[in-house]
Amino acid sequence: MIVSKKIVLIGHFGVGKTSLIRRFVEDTFSEGYKVTIGVHISKKTVIISEDQLISLIIWDLEGQDDIKKTRPTYLLGTNAFIYAFDLSRPVTFENLKSEIHFLKKNYPNTPLKVVGNKMDLVNKEYLKQYNSIFNCLVDYFVSAKTGSRVESLFYKLAIELI
Amino acid sequence: MLNTYIEKYRKNNFQFILIDNSGRVLETNNPILPIKLNNKLQNIHPFFEILNGLLPIKNECFEFSCTNLDFKKKIFIVDITIRTQNNNENLIIIEDLTKHYKNYQLTAQARNESIINSQILELKNEYLLEKETFKNNFIANFSHQLRNPITASIIFSDLLIDSDLNAEQKNYLDIIQSSNKDLKNRIEDILDISKIESGKLILIEKVFNLKKMLHTITAAFKFLIEKKDLVFNFEIDNNLPEYIKGDQYRLKQIITNILNNAIANTNTGFIKLKIDLNYVRAKKANICIQITDTGRGIDTDHLDSIFDRFIKIESETISNKGIGLGLAIVKYLVTEMQGNIKVESEINQGSKFICNLGFKISDYNQIKKKELLNNQLPHLDKKKHILLVEDSGLIQLTILKTLAATGQFYLNIVSKGEELVPNIINKDVDLILLSNTIQNFSAVHLASTVRNLPKKYKKTPIIVLSTKAYKEDLKRFKQNGINYVITKPFDKSKLLQILHKQLK
Repeated sequence: MIVSKKIVLIGHFGVGKTSLIRRFVEDTFSEGYKVTIGVHISKKTVIISEDQLISLIIWDLEGQDDIKKTRPTYLLGTNAFIYAFDLSRPVTFENLKSEIHFLKKNYPNTPLKVVGNKMDLVNKEYLKQYNSIFNCLVDYFVSAKTGSRVESLFYKLAIELI
Repeated sequence: MLNTYIEKYRKNNFQFILIDNSGRVLETNNPILPIKLNNKLQNIHPFFEILNGLLPIKNECFEFSCTNLDFKKKIFIVDITIRTQNNNENLIIIEDLTKHYKNYQLTAQARNESIINSQILELKNEYLLEKETFKNNFIANFSHQLRNPITASIIFSDLLIDSDLNAEQKNYLDIIQSSNKDLKNRIEDILDISKIESGKLILIEKVFNLKKMLHTITAAFKFLIEKKDLVFNFEIDNNLPEYIKGDQYRLKQIITNILNNAIANTNTGFIKLKIDLNYVRAKKANICIQITDTGRGIDTDHLDSIFDRFIKIESETISNKGIGLGLAIVKYLVTEMQGNIKVESEINQGSKFICNLGFKISDYNQIKKKELLNNQLPHLDKKKHILLVEDSGLIQLTILKTLAATGQFYLNIVSKGEELVPNIINKDVDLILLSNTIQNFSAVHLASTVRNLPKKYKKTPIIVLSTKAYKEDLKRFKQNGINYVITKPFDKSKLLQILHKQLK
């Protein structure tokens, strides 16, 4: 039997949420930026083991600069959150702490992965500047463009959801 | 009647689907999504998998606005309402608002792109600013580091020239002195550019003798130009005022930079310096400086960039030892002095720089009197005790040699900041020479410590030897009771003149 789990991607606009999903679901990437309005839903089945499949229903939400503005019905029945931000634009992670606090407070039992995207645009020296934010809050540094660690992010989350 | 119209114009926008508690389709009109009866809605699109969680909750209404449904390669953007009931009949209402949301999408696209672009631009600006600041600080610090060794080199060469040297040694010393001067000028140029870029270069206006300054320049350049087998012509208008108010150092820099540029670019022919009085109006003199050479000239393509930083017109035949900052500094200074400068040039024929500047004219007699007084070293009634606080061995030795040669001073040297106060209290000190680069102590801190001592000691004049002479540094020094600041590199006569003045 295949289990279905709903994963919701949230974060500021332009951080690459849609690109992360496209990389994971279709293994493609486009340089162009197309704004997501409302919600877009994709599905991908992940094989955990020979007899264990999991169907990930991925909700790609319209980017918001404040998580509290998210339409609450979109979050109904969420099994896991991915909070994505753009490593190259500090404005997308300057309120990371309070955004994560909000999610953890309102969805205490729902797994959450904090993901810094666009790793290909920054270097180690740059990341060091934000050590105080990144060290304790970020789970994954990924790049939708190169595909680095995207598969691993969803795969590990899928295992957690079983 | 109204219902007919409503039926006619709205029906295609709405789809009503009746499903049972498992999500199986019982009834549907199909204006939007072609759905077959008895199919489970969850299999139509992943969005409907949400039903598994919602259908068990009875008599509720859930609304999902702006939901993108891609269905058979077509995207519908719809509002979906799910009404659960307790009779195994649940209603799904889909309203197709694709057109409306696509318009909204275009607006959101433009807005987001503009915000992101401005954020990226801001970041780029910050990055460039940081890079520029780093570069300026690096240049300034590096140049400051060179000031101690250059000061020592200049002063020791000056001392050496007075000693008994043979012709060959004098020749060598000439080369050393000329190299010192070159090096000092290069460092001053680099520092000037970094000051210009950080907005710290200020003009210091004082009354000075214009004709005397021009005479000094022509004498020095006659030697330099003729050494290169070129002819030096100069014409100084007799009508020029003798005393004007302006930044003498910077005016001299404008003329010498252009002349140096002319020398570097001319191999045969002449260099001409012509200075005329354009007019006098309301006690202000407007002067025209023209410097003409018969050098290789500047290509029309390069004329616009000749005043840019680090621009040098390359040539294989001419050895140009400058670093391309001279004319950039000239342009900045002329602009700061509210003047103008232009260049006319023809390739292989030569160039002509024309610069117009205005200065206030000053009273001759008063200045003359003051100048006479300034040029004489005041007489000291007895040998004076100088306390030097400096941790650079090179500068210690330089000052020791300079003061010893006069026979008018006793010099006590300490290397550590903490030794300053005991030395003032326990020994005779007429003046303190204080370095601003003492380890662990700033000159400002040491000076304020002295100023807080008992009356007997606290009035001792303090002269700071500084590698930094920015406006804010000078202000800070003054506020903390420092009487005078000598900037490195300095020469023998400057040091002695200031010591005498402060001890008078």
